[in-house]
Amino acid sequence: MRISARRLVLFAVVLAGTLALSGCWDIKDINHRSLPVVMGVKQIDDTYKVLLLIPDATPSRTDVKIISQSGSTIDEILDKIDRNMENKVDLLHLKVIIFERSVAEKGLSQSVESFMRARDISNKTLTAISVGALEPLFDKLTSSSTSDGTEMYDFFEKNAGWSPEVVQTRIWEVFRSMDSFTRDVVIPTIQPGLSTTIESNGAAVIKNGRMVGVIDSDESLLYNLFKGTGTQGKIEVMNHATVKIVADRLTRSSELKEGQATMKGRLHLKVTVLETVGAPTEAEIKQEIDEQLSARFQSMLRAAQAKEADILGIGQYFRDKLSRENLRQWRTKYYPFMKIEFKVHVIIQDEGLLKMKR
Amino acid sequence: MDKSRQVIVMFWITHIGLIFFLYPTEIIGSLTAGHWCAVLLGFLIHISMLAVYTKGLSQCAPLNVIDLFQGVGRVFAFAMLLPLAIYFIMIMIITIRAYAEIVTVIFLGNTPLWTIMLLFLAVSTFICLLGIESIFRTGMLVALLFFPFLILVVVLSFQNTDWHYMLPLMDRDAATFAYTLRRPFLKSLFAFVGGFLFLGFIPPHIPFQGRKIVLASLGLIPFFLVSVYVPLLTFGENTASKFPFPFIMAVDTVDVSWLMFDRVTMFFMISMLCFVILFLSLGMWVTLLMIKRGIPVLKDPTACLLLAAVVYSVCLLVPNWSAVERLMWWNTLPRYYAAFIIPLAVFALGARRRRMEAVRP
Amino acid sequence: MKLPAFLESRQAKDSDLFLHSLFLAGESVYLAGYTSLIDLPQSIVMLRQLALNAAGAGKALFDRDSGVGTPMREPSEQEVLDALAAGDALICSQSGDRCLRLIPVGRTLSRALESPTTENVLRGAISAFNEDLDTNVGLIKKHLPSDTLRIRSYSLGQSQRRKTVLLYAEGKIREQLLQSIVQKLETLPDVDIPDLQALSDFFGFPKWALITRYNTSELPQEAAFALEHGKAVLLLDRFPFALVLPSLLSDMFVSQNDRNFPAIIMFSFRLLRVLGVLVNVLLPGLYVALVSVNPEVLRIEIALSIAGSREGVPYPALVETLLLLLILELTLESAIRLPTTIGPTITMVGGIILGQAVVQAKLVSNVLIIILAASTIANFTVIGFQNATALRLGKYLLLVLSAMFGVLGLFVGIVVICAYIGHVNTFGVPYLSRWKAGRRYG
Repeated sequence: MRISARRLVLFAVVLAGTLALSGCWDIKDINHRSLPVVMGVKQIDDTYKVLLLIPDATPSRTDVKIISQSGSTIDEILDKIDRNMENKVDLLHLKVIIFERSVAEKGLSQSVESFMRARDISNKTLTAISVGALEPLFDKLTSSSTSDGTEMYDFFEKNAGWSPEVVQTRIWEVFRSMDSFTRDVVIPTIQPGLSTTIESNGAAVIKNGRMVGVIDSDESLLYNLFKGTGTQGKIEVMNHATVKIVADRLTRSSELKEGQATMKGRLHLKVTVLETVGAPTEAEIKQEIDEQLSARFQSMLRAAQAKEADILGIGQYFRDKLSRENLRQWRTKYYPFMKIEFKVHVIIQDEGLLKMKR
Repeated sequence: MDKSRQVIVMFWITHIGLIFFLYPTEIIGSLTAGHWCAVLLGFLIHISMLAVYTKGLSQCAPLNVIDLFQGVGRVFAFAMLLPLAIYFIMIMIITIRAYAEIVTVIFLGNTPLWTIMLLFLAVSTFICLLGIESIFRTGMLVALLFFPFLILVVVLSFQNTDWHYMLPLMDRDAATFAYTLRRPFLKSLFAFVGGFLFLGFIPPHIPFQGRKIVLASLGLIPFFLVSVYVPLLTFGENTASKFPFPFIMAVDTVDVSWLMFDRVTMFFMISMLCFVILFLSLGMWVTLLMIKRGIPVLKDPTACLLLAAVVYSVCLLVPNWSAVERLMWWNTLPRYYAAFIIPLAVFALGARRRRMEAVRP
Repeated sequence: MKLPAFLESRQAKDSDLFLHSLFLAGESVYLAGYTSLIDLPQSIVMLRQLALNAAGAGKALFDRDSGVGTPMREPSEQEVLDALAAGDALICSQSGDRCLRLIPVGRTLSRALESPTTENVLRGAISAFNEDLDTNVGLIKKHLPSDTLRIRSYSLGQSQRRKTVLLYAEGKIREQLLQSIVQKLETLPDVDIPDLQALSDFFGFPKWALITRYNTSELPQEAAFALEHGKAVLLLDRFPFALVLPSLLSDMFVSQNDRNFPAIIMFSFRLLRVLGVLVNVLLPGLYVALVSVNPEVLRIEIALSIAGSREGVPYPALVETLLLLLILELTLESAIRLPTTIGPTITMVGGIILGQAVVQAKLVSNVLIIILAASTIANFTVIGFQNATALRLGKYLLLVLSAMFGVLGLFVGIVVICAYIGHVNTFGVPYLSRWKAGRRYG
């Protein structure tokens, strides 16, 4: 009996200890945290301004609110916001970070690095660059918000509203490009849309964390094709026909002769015909696709080469052909003079429900 | 009644628990290209020592390491086992401290360190008190529950890899084995050593076959390679070398839209931590075996609690991450002792015993 | 001792005792026994027939081989009382110097064979054990018509004699297991065994164990299956369950009855039960962990909807969950006590009124109600009520650990539970062993 009494006391002590302990560090329930979904970063001279889009959940409906604050570093601003909010601001669920164009032009390195360092920001967070000022964009986001402020996220989300002309770039990819010898990224540019909430009209070319140029939507599509991001369902409009890409595959080969890098790329597309203008033959359509895409690709690459920004990561294919020292100079010594042969091979899988002229 | 299967599962668990957090950091830190070469070299050392050790053990079959050394002489046993005990205690301290730190850095930012260390230690003490057979059985059950997770995450982690980062396969630095003397590489060997010493302490009523263990350890190669190569292939060498826990970062980039949960990594990491807890309890059990033989006054629950208290108080004294790294570096010497001297000594004693037995009849 | 005098004095204290005088084979004798246990008129008819037979064969009534009953020589008081308590009748001569003990026609004090009340059978034998020991042994024999079946009976206890029968299949049971059980039983304890707790004390199982060391079943086919697979079965008188030793983890998931279904269906049933256990144990802890410590694991949509549903709930997730769990446990417990006619009413009150109102009053979030309902349903997918209750306790450990350490606590809790399960063993047979007739795997 004494044993059981001792056990009882022990049990009571453990129980009390646990209960007391669990109060020791502050655990905040989910409804006492504000979970921003979108963060906007702008820079005025030396001070940063941060805007947060926070869904405000109630049992029946969800509202969105915008909190903004400025300060000298992003961390300081978040601290300030935290102090002034009734809830704890938790960036755990941050989905999209939008930089204002001017910030991107000055250089993203520092902010991206601090985002990567912060443990609460997921490194899967998407990035975007706002063409205009941030405030109108955020206003548009709040005013047209119907559900819970996740439109911005849905816009980029593959199983929601994403379309193949929009580039998806996550923060770790930006971070990776900052140190990489052979790889740069593009970040999609967005602006408030006229009828829709947001629209994307291309992407910004980022070299070593700094914005150096832009590409348009069509080029973004090519970028996605080259990256291998599934572009199925894409509708390609040409002079004589509209086709839908059903499957795509890219084969690449690279060679380096006497300091001259050459790249051969061959894009295999399977398309189905949606609409024809006039009566083009299959061969015509094939040729037209080839010409159009090749030309577009060449022009995008020329522009990127001029900026010495290897957005397609072509340097990757020369990793085994160059020594580490030479790889370091890839962007300046080899890339701008690289030749690329790009061919598009089209297979028309079917012609829709109407026969086409042979 | 061959229980090799339990022993193999435990062997895997202890190694996998050690591989994924610190090991890739050290390997990526030790050379810039041709990492596979460092991984395989480490593994070669591991498997040869393992083979020597199990061979020696099987030659003196019913005896464990302590009995074997005591057969030579009390002083000899004491001198041989003292550094080993110190090694085990140190590895427990380092593991608990390091993993508690990892937990706070990665997902429990608000929770004080000492409670996490207390949790680890309390659970492993509890498991250790239940005895070695329970440890093995727990290992089986935990492996059954967590391995599917693990495999899923390992497969998913290849989502963002770019195989071109594998190139160049070799450079001069890797080919000359210059890295073998560098600090990170020397430290990286901890993942190869910590796990197999327990084999020598298993009591005779859990019989196992050394050959099977050696074969089973080949199954670890993919895990070693994956832990190093997934971050390399995802980020490239330049970026991967900037992260303290590259594999975790690489898994964090995985985006699975069909899963109910957002951060798959967390489940992965936590299964790893559970493996580490089992590793700790195993280490504790081995240490206790030595302590109880050395100081026969100490009986089971007291000795265990005492050991836990000592480990815990030392853990509390470690102020920061760099101190942990320093401790790890200090532990290199006992580690080499444990990795090389003990297996070789066991092998030598086993051979001697066999010779004597051959003479006697 | 004068037997008639003793019986008469006893009758004064115990009105149930009858002392009936009658003539048998020309002798005037007393017939004694308990009215409540013996059907008197029928017994007298039977006695007369027996006495006639004896007389016809030329045997005296009190002879050893008269065929009427077993003679008792100089019985002690205790012996007489034991015989009466066992439901036997005594015949003694007027002078009281000779006495016979015989088995009379008893009253039926047991249920007829019925279908099981705690275990449902969909496909398979539906008869269940009842309180009568002999019926139970017979049922098992019917289900296991084999010459390997061995039966040993013991009577345990000092003031209450409890008949206990040990059954096993010769050659199938592991010798070591049998020896340890028999050894324990043959010590014949001097404490009474009124319930299973006392039995478990007697076997020396730890008192604070969460997992019962014997699996109970109401179904003769399960017991026969266990016997055939080398386990031992213990039957207690007046206890309508068979105790199967040792108990294993697989008892939670595997029932003999599954084998009456096609193999694929059998495996999916078992998988379902495993999932049920996981869901039951993990879900409440997971909710607390995700809501209060690690919300980053949830997808944003779920996170927002949970945050919305918890808006206005005044206390932390742990307290919220504990409160609702308490109510659920109360419902479960009261449902056992309730007469079946009132049961549905309580279900309605508990389920609809409380559930709806508690959300509207913002006392708990409605996501939690869904989670706890799922968890409670999942609880009863396991086989055997005793297993289900053990699980119910396990979930609280996980709950507290999750509240403190989030998902980490949850998983560490699983490890602790695994370790505990790994530690439990019955007579040296680990709870986690995979059982095959005659041998075992770790």
